[in-house]
Amino acid sequence: MSPRPAVVTGLAAEPVLAENSLTWDSLGFDPLIDHYRIHAVPGEDAPTEAEDSVLLGKTVYPRFTHAGLGPEGETWTYTVQAVSDAGERGEVSEAVTATSRPSVTATGTEVARIGEFDGRTLEHHLAPASYAQIPERYPEALIEYEDGVDEPGESWPYLLPGPGDAWAGGIPYSARWTVSLEQAPSEDLDLALWLVDTTRLGGVLRLRANGDELADLELPVGATRGSREGDATVPGTALKRARFELPVPAALLQAGQNVIELELAEGGWVAWDALGLFARG
Amino acid sequence: MPSTATRAPVSRRRLLQLSGASAAVIALGIDARSARSEPPSELEGAAAPEGMFSLGVASGAPRPDGAVLWTRLAPEPLAEDGHGGMPLKEVTVRWEVATDEEFRGIVAHGRALAQPALAHAVHPRVEGLDPGTEHFYRFRAGRELSPVGRFRTLPAEGEPAESFSFGLVSCQAWYHGHFTAHRHLAAEEDLDLVVFVGDYIYEYGITETNLWRQGAEVGEAHRVEIETLEQYRLRYALFKSDPHLQAVHARAAAVAVWDDHEVQNNYTGALSDTGIPEDDFAHRIAVAYRAFYENMPLDVAALPDGTDTDITDGFDVGSLARFSLLDSRQFRDAKPADAAEQHREDRTILGTEQEEWVGERLASSTATWNLLANGVVLVPIDEASTDMWDGYPAARRRLLAQMAEASNPVMLTGDIHKHVAAEIPADPDDPAAGALGVELVCTSIASDGDGAADAGTPETWTRHEYVKLYDGRRGYVHVRLTPQEMVSSFRVVDWIEADDTAPEQLRARFTTPAGEPRLIPA
Repeated sequence: MSPRPAVVTGLAAEPVLAENSLTWDSLGFDPLIDHYRIHAVPGEDAPTEAEDSVLLGKTVYPRFTHAGLGPEGETWTYTVQAVSDAGERGEVSEAVTATSRPSVTATGTEVARIGEFDGRTLEHHLAPASYAQIPERYPEALIEYEDGVDEPGESWPYLLPGPGDAWAGGIPYSARWTVSLEQAPSEDLDLALWLVDTTRLGGVLRLRANGDELADLELPVGATRGSREGDATVPGTALKRARFELPVPAALLQAGQNVIELELAEGGWVAWDALGLFARG
Repeated sequence: MPSTATRAPVSRRRLLQLSGASAAVIALGIDARSARSEPPSELEGAAAPEGMFSLGVASGAPRPDGAVLWTRLAPEPLAEDGHGGMPLKEVTVRWEVATDEEFRGIVAHGRALAQPALAHAVHPRVEGLDPGTEHFYRFRAGRELSPVGRFRTLPAEGEPAESFSFGLVSCQAWYHGHFTAHRHLAAEEDLDLVVFVGDYIYEYGITETNLWRQGAEVGEAHRVEIETLEQYRLRYALFKSDPHLQAVHARAAAVAVWDDHEVQNNYTGALSDTGIPEDDFAHRIAVAYRAFYENMPLDVAALPDGTDTDITDGFDVGSLARFSLLDSRQFRDAKPADAAEQHREDRTILGTEQEEWVGERLASSTATWNLLANGVVLVPIDEASTDMWDGYPAARRRLLAQMAEASNPVMLTGDIHKHVAAEIPADPDDPAAGALGVELVCTSIASDGDGAADAGTPETWTRHEYVKLYDGRRGYVHVRLTPQEMVSSFRVVDWIEADDTAPEQLRARFTTPAGEPRLIPA
């Protein structure tokens, strides 16, 4: 008879933008673990049971992302329990609590935005799967979008290709997003870049504000599926969302037209969820 | 891989390498008598669930003296915890083998223990049977009798068998249509074996967008890409609930290699194709490999120890044929980053140990026909098809050199959802070098739905002079071997999405004379 699985140890919860990321120690392969059950309740008190009413999800991996948390930040408390190949459940782990990091999309005041921060590429041009048309429509590898004039469905292709994308010519693409400000900001603004997926190549997304270097964002390795699927909120999706939020120094901005340039300098495409520029408070 | 060319892989050697707990588990699933004196829980009366044999029966790993028998008890096959509605306790399953369909002449019987740790699957190996003989088998659990299955023991070692026939099948995307091709295969009069060459299941979520099998509905639990053991078990149960697939398994012994979808699309060795970290992906491989063992009529070597398993098998059909079943997934190098990596000399798709194993089997063979089975196409088609042997050109040269050492080499393949027949170039770089053998690629049972004769990109294939057939409909290949020739019949059906009534058509038939590696239209 297969032995009862051991108690899960090493459970840790790391706050992430709009997510809590859980990890624990693998219990190995003997007995074979069918999956781990993740129990969760809102707040700082531990779940008092391990039944399906508090079941957040199941995974075969020793990690789990509690995604879809509100952009204002949410506090949850978690326990994890192993289930063996024989259907036997181990003891429930000790509980951990985490509060997801709030997003500027909730805490800031919107200045400009392309698309909805909703985990989908669907509102963007050529989504969800017509990527092959991007090199035809943008032969100069340049996408230009003016806030207040252009619409995402007509002027913002859902993918920004990179040099790792042979289908797009194997060259870095750039997108120039023009945003008009009535006056030069007195405080830094915040830029939110949410992605629905990236490729197995990862890469570097180079940001400039009015020609000045802003940041080189290291793109995580993704599922390479966002070129064909547009909805990362479907249960069990393979798409790997990524979110970046960073300050844009007031000194780089000016009254009138400002250009935020995004260049996929290394690696493969990003699939856009949404982009936004936010004022603080 | 076994250490000698002729011995069956595994055996007790591997069994003993396993940890004590695991070894006990398997021993019980194979032969209850040898593992404990008092068998537990005979299911009787009210305690016995009804319909435990809903997933049918199967046999596999044929030998001159026996075969592995298989069933998995599942009164509620689609129970979402993957345990098929069985109580989470051990149940004794009795089996018997006879030479007649009425079971008057029982020639072997025994007990196996169905355990929750193996999803109540049992894999008893029957030994001591007469060679070259048709046998019938059935199981009993509680008061229930299983359907009757049949298999033919292989001819005795060295016996000059007059003929041997097998079906070649792959790619069973259940949700894309009905298993009409299996219905026709099960009705083949001349059938000693069925060879499954991969994608027995698919891991994708089943939703409105890919559920083309009209009349079928699936619940929420099937909508997501599978990753846990209970999900893989449930997926096998869904596919194996098909009556035509069950009929094929009941009709003849089956052997199987896997391709990628038994785990995840385009995975390579230990690596996921969707960026799942390697340490994490190992857990998914372990449960996927386990579920494959649990649901197929495999010998105990295929029971994984963690992520490590051996699904290769080798057997001889008298002196007529030698089969070598290859694992072209578990040991392959990663997708190449560039052409230089693709063409590296040390790049491998089978792994060093398996390359040596198959080389020894080919070099030492005295059989007339030497058949290999694997998951992906061997002949050169397109440099960009790096998931096939085209992604491993140096490994292909090594295998071709090994195949050239054996008489009448044949590669059996699936994967591409097209019927393709090719004369294998002896030297892919030198068209004048001629052919060294033939490759028979079976189309899918269901993947890609109805299809059409010219579906896909036919010119990618037919531009090669050595490709003699291309057809993008659903079907299977029937192969008949004799000492004089191999006759391969490529059968198709015109539709599978609407229902399972499409008649079978013969798309092409080729004769390959022994000693002449050609595909001659018959």
